[in-house]
Amino acid sequence: MSSEFAVIGTRQPRMDGFEKVSGRARFTSDISLPGMLHLKILRSPYPHARIVNIDTSKARALPGVKAVLTYKDMPMARWNPQMPILTDVARFVGDDIAVVAAVDEDTAVEALGLIKVDYQVLPFVLDPEEAMKPGAPKLFPEGNVIGGTPAVVAGGGPKLTGYEIPSATHSVTRGDVNKGFAEADLVYEARYRTPILQHVPNESRVAVAQWESGKLTLWDASQTPFDVQKAVAKVLGIPMSKVHVSTEFLGGGFGDRSSPGRQSVLAAMVARKTGRPARIELDREEAFVACLHRYAGIMDLKYGVKNDGTLTAIQAKVIADGGAYAIFPAAGLGILECMMYIYRCPNMTGEAWTISTNNPPTGPMRCVGHPQGTFAQEVHMDIIAEKLGMDPVEFRLKNHARLEDGDQFKKIPFTSNGLQECIERGAETFGWKQHWQKPGSSPGPIKRGVGVAIHGCTHGRMPPGMPLSGMVRVNPDGTLNVFTGATELGGGQKTTMAMIAAETLGVPLATVSVVSGDTESTTDTGTTSGSRQTITGGTGVKLAATDAKNQLLDIAAADLKADKKDLTIRNGMVYVAGSEKGTPVGQFAANAPGGVIFGRGVMKIPTDIFTNTFAAGFAEVEVDTRTGAVKVLKIVSANDLGRAINPMTAESQIDGGVILGVGFGLAEEQLLDKPTGICVNPNHLDYKVPSFNEAPEIVHVLVESVDKVGPFGAKGLGEPCCSPPAPAIANAIYNAIGVRFSELPITNRAILMGLKAKKG
Amino acid sequence: MEKERDVSTSGEEQESGKLRVSRRSFLKGMGVSTAAAAMATAVVPQLEAETAPLVKGIREATIVTEINGKTYRLAVKSNWTLLDVLRRELGLTGTKKTCDRSSCGACTVIMDGKAVYACSLLAFEADRRKITTIEALSEGDTLHPIQAAFVREDALQCGFCTPGMIMSTKSLLDSNPRASLAEIKEALSGNICRCAAYPKITKAVLSLAQKA
Repeated sequence: MSSEFAVIGTRQPRMDGFEKVSGRARFTSDISLPGMLHLKILRSPYPHARIVNIDTSKARALPGVKAVLTYKDMPMARWNPQMPILTDVARFVGDDIAVVAAVDEDTAVEALGLIKVDYQVLPFVLDPEEAMKPGAPKLFPEGNVIGGTPAVVAGGGPKLTGYEIPSATHSVTRGDVNKGFAEADLVYEARYRTPILQHVPNESRVAVAQWESGKLTLWDASQTPFDVQKAVAKVLGIPMSKVHVSTEFLGGGFGDRSSPGRQSVLAAMVARKTGRPARIELDREEAFVACLHRYAGIMDLKYGVKNDGTLTAIQAKVIADGGAYAIFPAAGLGILECMMYIYRCPNMTGEAWTISTNNPPTGPMRCVGHPQGTFAQEVHMDIIAEKLGMDPVEFRLKNHARLEDGDQFKKIPFTSNGLQECIERGAETFGWKQHWQKPGSSPGPIKRGVGVAIHGCTHGRMPPGMPLSGMVRVNPDGTLNVFTGATELGGGQKTTMAMIAAETLGVPLATVSVVSGDTESTTDTGTTSGSRQTITGGTGVKLAATDAKNQLLDIAAADLKADKKDLTIRNGMVYVAGSEKGTPVGQFAANAPGGVIFGRGVMKIPTDIFTNTFAAGFAEVEVDTRTGAVKVLKIVSANDLGRAINPMTAESQIDGGVILGVGFGLAEEQLLDKPTGICVNPNHLDYKVPSFNEAPEIVHVLVESVDKVGPFGAKGLGEPCCSPPAPAIANAIYNAIGVRFSELPITNRAILMGLKAKKG
Repeated sequence: MEKERDVSTSGEEQESGKLRVSRRSFLKGMGVSTAAAAMATAVVPQLEAETAPLVKGIREATIVTEINGKTYRLAVKSNWTLLDVLRRELGLTGTKKTCDRSSCGACTVIMDGKAVYACSLLAFEADRRKITTIEALSEGDTLHPIQAAFVREDALQCGFCTPGMIMSTKSLLDSNPRASLAEIKEALSGNICRCAAYPKITKAVLSLAQKA
C-alpha cells in the first residue's frame, strides 16, 4: 500500500490536535457574546399530561426576564413529524413546556418557578407491548404504532414508511419460512431485550443564536449544521441564506445531535424576538432526561438449522420502544436489519414495530438499532452452535454471507465484503483455538471465558436525495483549502478530508487546511452520522480535488507546452514525463484565470448502491462468581473498513466503539420509576459510563476489502465496531460460568442471580 | 494519587462556620504576579464582621486568587463555582463543563499542586489559592510535553475531555513522574471520556512516565 499512495494509509496525528490539547479549540459551549440572554426550559413533571392553562405573567414580570415562550408562541411550521418545539401535551417526564430567557441563568431558573401550569394528568404507558394493546393510553391521535401497521420487510405486507429501502417496495418473501422450519433438525426460539441508553456526550446540547440585520447566526453543537439551517429557516419563515449555522468543534455526538434539536430552534426564536444574543445549554440532568436515547429493543427470534449447521429459516419479530418522540420513525427496522442478510439463509421473514410510549425520546446512538439486533442474533447463534455441538467460530464461518451472496434482502450485490477475513484474522489474532474451552470449565471462583460475535449492516447509508459535495481551493502558493460540510466530532473527519485532498492532488499534507461544518463557507454533504462522512464527505472532497487537479494540469500543460496526459503531480511539484525537474504547483495556480483554482465536487447519490461494513469481535472475560463482577480482559476488534485512510484515527474510533459496547453489555441503562415515569439515574454517578477501569486491552485488526464506492476504497467505521462487543462479552460470560443472558446490561446482580438460578 | 474533592477549611473558618473572607489580607488590584509575597501586607475589604448574624441567600465578596501566574482580585457571589469564574468571568474556556457534579473530570484544574474539580469548588474556596488551568501549559505554538504526547499518540477524539485529562495527568506526573500503568489508570479514573480514547491516553501518559 505504501507504494501505491503517498498519504492514504499513513499514520497521521489529527490536524486539530493542537487546538484540542491546548484548550484553544472553540466549542459551542465556549461561545459568549455581550448582552447574551440565558435560556432555561420548564419541563413536564408528568409522563403524560395536557396543559389546561399556563400562566406566565409572574415570570414575565420578574426583573431581568426578557422573554417567556410557550406552545402558544410556536409557529405552525412543522420541523419534525412528531416532536413539537414546545408542547401542549407532555409525553414524557421532562418534555419541553416553556422557555424563559433572562439576563443570567439564576434569573431564568427563578422565573421557571413562577410559571403556573394547570395540567390534566393523563394515563401513561412505559411498556411498548402494553402500548400496542387496544385501549392503551394513546400518545398521538393516530395511535401508538408508528406508521399504523408493522413495517413488514419480508413476507409481503405493506410498504415501508419513513425508512428508505428502495427495493422494499418490490421485495417479496425470501423463500418460505415454514418450509425452512420443516427442513430444520433444530428450531430454537428465544426472546432478547436491551435497555434505554443515553449518549452522554461530554459537551451538552448547547446553542448560541445571534440576530443581526435580519440575519441569524447560530453556533450549534450539532452533527448536522445544514439540517439545522433548513429546520430553523422553516420554523422562522426566513430564507436559508439568512441562516448561518456553524459547528467548528463538537464535544461528541454519537447520534444525539444527528438531527436538529429543539434547543437550537428556541435560541433562534428568542434571539429574533429580543434582538439580543441567546444562549441555551442543557444541564446534565436535562441531557439524560430530554435528549435522545438509544431505543430499547424486544427481539423474538426463531431460527431453524440442520444438524450440519446449515441455516434453513430465520424468523424475527422486533419491537422498538420509540419513546415519546421517535426521531427515527422506523426504529424497529434498524434492529431487524441485522437479521436480514448477514447470514446466508434462503428463508426469512421479519416484522419490525416501532411503538410510541411515555419513555424519553429516542433516535440513533452509534447505529440505528444495530447494537440491539446484533446482541440478540449473536447470542441466539451462539446458543444454536452449542446445541449442535459446533465451535461458535466455525458455525459463523459456515453461515455468514459472502461477497457473492450480496444483500439477500435488497437483492443487490455487496460493494465489498471482508467479513470472512474479519472472522479468520480476528480468531487468529485472538488465539481462539487455544482459548476456547468447555463452558464453565475454568477452575476456582474466578472463571475465564471467551466469546465471539459478528456484525454487518449498511453503514455510510446514502438515502436518495442526500447531499454529497465538497470544495477545494488551490492558492497561488500551491497550498490547499478544503471546505467540507462534515462536522468534526472526534472521528478525525478534518484530517481524513485533508488526506484525501492531498493524495488526490499530489501535494504535501502539511499544506492542506480544512474548514468544516459551517453552512456559510462549506457545502452540505449529509449529516455526520451513520458512519457516513468518509464516504459522502470524502467523495465530495475527492471529486473537488480531482476537478482542481484537472484545471491545474490544463494550465500547466499550456505553460509547459506539454501534453496534459504526460503530466503528474508529486509532493507539490508538476513533472513532465521523462523529466526529473519539477515545477511547483503554485506557479501554475498563480497563473489561473481569475487568480484562483477552485475545485467543485458533487455527485448524485446512486439509488441502487449500499455500502456494507462488516466486523467481528472476540472477547475474553473474567467473572468473579463470588461478587458477580465481570472484567473484560481483552477485545479483538476486526473491522472491514474498506481502506484505512488514516490507520491512527481508525484505531481510535475502534477503541471508542468497543468501549461503548462494553458499557452497553455490562453497565449502561437509563432507569425510569415505573409508577411515575421519572428517570432515577440522570447523572454520571448512577448511570455508569465506562472509565479507564472498564477499558479492556483492545487489539485492532484492520481488514481492507477496498470498496467499489468509497474514496480510495474506504467505508465507514464509527458504528460497526460498536455492535460485536456486547454479544461477544455475553457469550464469553456463558463460556466462563455456563449461564446465558438474554437481557442487557449484565450487571453483577444479574450474574449472581443467574448463578443462583443455575444452582437451583 | 487521588483527586482532592473536598477542600479542607482552616481552623479559623471552621470556628466561624460561615463563608470565609474575613480576617484576611489581600492584594490590591489585578494582574500582580508576586501574589504570595505581597498578600501579607495588603488590606482587604471584609465581607462582614465575624459576629454578624448568618444571612441566608446569595452574598458577594472579593477573593484574591493566583491563576496561571497572574493574581486576580475578583468580586464573586457565594453560589459561583470556581468553574463559573474561570469560564464565564475570566473567559478561560479551556476548562470544560460536562457533569457539573464532580463525576466526570472535564473541569479538572490544579489547585496548589493537586488536581481538583473546578465545578465542585465554590469560588470562595479558591481564595488565596494558586490555580493552574490548561491555558498555562502551552506557550505560543509550543506545547507542554504532556500535550505533545497526547497529539503524537492520538490520545484524544472530540477533544472536550482533553484539557481535564491533561491537567489530571500533569498533577500525577508532577508528583509521580515515573507512574506505573496502574497508577496512571487510578489517577485518571475520575476523568470520563465518552469517545473512550482511554487506551491511547494510557499509552501517551505511559510514554512520558517511562522517559522520566
